[in-house]
Amino acid sequence: MEETKKKEQSGSTHKIGIYLWIWGLLFVLSFFSYLVDWYQFQGMLRWSLILFFMFLKAGLIMAFFMHLYWERYALVNVLLWPMTAIVCFVALMIAEGKYTLFSRLFYFFVGG
Amino acid sequence: MSEEYENKSGYQAQSSETISGSSSGITPDMDYVRPAENAEQDLYHPHSFIEKWVFCQDAKVIGVQYFLTAVFTGVVGLILSWLMRLQLGFPGLAGFITAEHYYQFVTMHGMIMVVYFLTALFLGGFGNYLIPLMVGARDMVFPYVNMLSFWMFFVAVAVLMASFFVPGGPTGAGWTLYPPQTILEGTPGHGYGILLMLISLALFVIGFTMGGLNYMITILQARTRGMTLMRMPLTVWGIFTATVLAMLAFPALLVSSIMMTLDKLLGTSFFMPTILKAGEVLEYGGGSPILFQHLFWFFGHPEVYIVALPAFGIVSDLISVHARKNIFGYRMMVWAIVGIGALSFFVWAHHMYVSGMNPWFGFFFASTTLIIAVPTAMKVYNWILTLWRGNIRINTVMLWCLGFIVTFVNGGITGIFLGNVSVDVPLSDTYFVVAHFHMVMGIAPLMVIMGAIYHWFPLVAGKMLNENLGKWHFWTTFLGAYSIYFPMHYLGFIGVPRRYYEMYDSPYMTSGVGLNEFISTAAFIVGAAQLILVFNIIKTMKTGKKAGQNPWKANSLEWFTSTVPPEHGNFGDRLPVVHRWPYDFNVPGAEEDYLPQTAAPSEVAHTEVEKT
Amino acid sequence: MSDPKIEGFELEKGFRGMAKDTGSDQTMFKGVHWGKAMMWIFLLSDTFVFSCFLIAYMKGRASTPAEWPNPSEVFALDAFGVPVPLLLIALMTFVLITSSGTMALAVKYGYERNRKMCGYLILATALGGLTFVGMQAYEWSKLIHEGVRPWENPFGAAQFGSFFFMITGFHGTHVSIGVIFLFIYCYKVFAGHYEEGKRGWFTKMKGDYVEVEILGLYWHFVDLVWVFIFAFFYLW
Ligand code: HEM
Ligand SMILES: [Cu+2]
Repeated sequence: MEETKKKEQSGSTHKIGIYLWIWGLLFVLSFFSYLVDWYQFQGMLRWSLILFFMFLKAGLIMAFFMHLYWERYALVNVLLWPMTAIVCFVALMIAEGKYTLFSRLFYFFVGG
Repeated sequence: MSEEYENKSGYQAQSSETISGSSSGITPDMDYVRPAENAEQDLYHPHSFIEKWVFCQDAKVIGVQYFLTAVFTGVVGLILSWLMRLQLGFPGLAGFITAEHYYQFVTMHGMIMVVYFLTALFLGGFGNYLIPLMVGARDMVFPYVNMLSFWMFFVAVAVLMASFFVPGGPTGAGWTLYPPQTILEGTPGHGYGILLMLISLALFVIGFTMGGLNYMITILQARTRGMTLMRMPLTVWGIFTATVLAMLAFPALLVSSIMMTLDKLLGTSFFMPTILKAGEVLEYGGGSPILFQHLFWFFGHPEVYIVALPAFGIVSDLISVHARKNIFGYRMMVWAIVGIGALSFFVWAHHMYVSGMNPWFGFFFASTTLIIAVPTAMKVYNWILTLWRGNIRINTVMLWCLGFIVTFVNGGITGIFLGNVSVDVPLSDTYFVVAHFHMVMGIAPLMVIMGAIYHWFPLVAGKMLNENLGKWHFWTTFLGAYSIYFPMHYLGFIGVPRRYYEMYDSPYMTSGVGLNEFISTAAFIVGAAQLILVFNIIKTMKTGKKAGQNPWKANSLEWFTSTVPPEHGNFGDRLPVVHRWPYDFNVPGAEEDYLPQTAAPSEVAHTEVEKT
Repeated sequence: MSDPKIEGFELEKGFRGMAKDTGSDQTMFKGVHWGKAMMWIFLLSDTFVFSCFLIAYMKGRASTPAEWPNPSEVFALDAFGVPVPLLLIALMTFVLITSSGTMALAVKYGYERNRKMCGYLILATALGGLTFVGMQAYEWSKLIHEGVRPWENPFGAAQFGSFFFMITGFHGTHVSIGVIFLFIYCYKVFAGHYEEGKRGWFTKMKGDYVEVEILGLYWHFVDLVWVFIFAFFYLW
């Protein structure tokens, strides 16, 4: 009750310009990733472009729309470190997916 | 610096600079504690019987509700284990147990014990009761959501139990629920049974998420003044880390149950490969059964530590209090808990060495598995070093703790065996594995639960449990449990496979016959011995002696509530202020052999206390 | 959003600041509202849910020997008689990003206690979400019309249909839940509940504009997930 330092009524708000900027950027980046498909880039180029635009967009949304850029580092770290488990899971499942396909084809054509 | 809270009718007298006893005003106040950051919590007091005892928002009542519901499921699990042991020890004696029934018992026993009993008991039961008390909060941060969490769990249990009564009975696919057999004809309960199981698991995850958010935010954001993370009792650390694991591991379970439900109901083939059954190709095709195993164990291994970590934490506190000695290497203990928690997301496929996964994975997962044994071993050393030259009181609580250490070391060592691929391959799916995981995640946490019941019963009910009965309870349980699981290692070595209904005339059976009878007899005795605890509780409630405040002379905050048992809001009209860790026992120079966490530095200036 | 003035804990960037915050008493996330911290942790857990879905999709797609359909053709839409690849998906992305922008502004105006602007922006967000769900329903019905089912599809691997309906369905459920809450919050903002600190219907907790930010976090998260689904399901 009284013992509290009066709680901050609100965080400081940010200028509207920054939101409009990010908003614009998100449209532009989405457009670019759409172009990747439009021009039918294939192979490594396609995949790296898709990932590049995806991570940029995700980063912008998290950092500015979700205010993570302005949050304290403690929160940011708590949220981002667990992703290493996901990264590990993804990496292993890439290997596993290839292996499953390999063994399916191998035993199909060569026989068990 | 502190005008805003200082002179509010005697509030927080300890923390203002003016109290400082020093002669000049220059020395900083040694008792200074930063002002409160959180507003006083706004509690909703119940207005009716239903709000007070049924849809209650008080974490302590919710904790007891969780506890009782979990114990109920535990009793069901125990009865199932009796039925299994009846069949294994004396095949054919109980004619009504068919092979199908046996599989159903195995499955339900495993799932109930791991998820609905141990997880709910530690996190829902002990977590709810102890977290707010131990960190000095009035309640969980979102009491309403907390209440919903329990009722969601309750519905999950109801759905699970309902599966015993549907046509076809409960699922008999093993607690790992591996597809494709789980949902195919020939597996008991492949119709309604498995569906109810999957629904129940999904409900459990949803309910747990609501509770878990509460536990995490209460610990992170609602500690009392002076309570830093490194002053929290290890119980809280254990429950906290387990909750984090649960929040990150249960999603994999949720996803795999959703996908399996779709395979079952809509005929998708996420996990279902092309299957030839009696010469006919089934509708399924192209899916990946091993994907399910990965998802399941990405949940499953952290789940193992969801059960183990709270037990680690609680046992550390119990040992310290009853050996009247500070916990050895507190920081190491905390980092070990956190380290085990983090590593537990990188070891899951050690359950899949014989599954046909990518063979290179063996290297990775064997290495991570053996690495995780390092912090675990450090914890064991620290428990032993805490006991070393302690003022040990061999009471019931301490006996359970010692029992825990023995069984845990036993199970941990067999874990090292199983972590190595080449050793695991012949041992996997034998009774050796059964012995391993029962020692490490069955008996060891159970020992801690029992110790915790004897330790905190005086707080919850205000009366001391009977010591003599307690010792009888301990010795029968401990010796009995050892008689059950120790011989199983041997059965595993001679190759007896797990999840088998009967061995018939196989060589296993002939050499294991006497042993199986012995194990089964021990199992009946251990199960029945739990009635001693029930009797003890009834007797204590009637005639037991009053516990009074802080009967064990412990330091942590749960013993310093305004009333025993604590009422809604826990701490009367002012929250405690914390000045030290909870392990200041036998400080040289102090009058008593313990210094509560609330003792201010100026009060203990004459002692040789090192840590404040 | 927080730059709290807490005694001895002025915002300090980097690991030093983190160590100081973590080592302190009472709170670890200085100045972060309980509800907001809860939403963040929930979203972390939800991230694991979607990650597991996407990982399963990746593993499933990588190990099926059958041909995987080309999403660019499957999701093409006829505009003026010409098939435009991914047209509908592009529009859906556009709508969702728009609604994310309006939500961000709603949060800003909420903190400035600009009730009208905040309310209208939430309304706009809700309508955007509704449009998205509508377009998704159209997309589903179109595919179903073409013979795509969760258990089979005429273009190749059966898993294509399974993963498509499951993942977009789960995401769509998130959007729909968000829309329901947006309408409720829209009402609450206009009715002034957050200004008077009126107590919640069920939780009995005092209302505050921070709730708008909490809902905003959820809404941006839904958008975030769509970014990943767009990349991995439609473009890959
Ligand atoms: C010293 C650390 C540990 C190591 C190295 C270890 C290793 C292993 C390995 C390799 C397996 C797979 C055996 C097989 O399927 O052939 C296994 C199974 C199991 N472990 Fe552990 N473990 C450890 C600690 C624990 C703990 C602390 C618990 C529980 C609290 C636990 C519970 C289980 C369970 C339930 C299984 C059975 C899984 C099944 O159904 O196949 N383990 N352990
Ligand atoms: Cu494991």
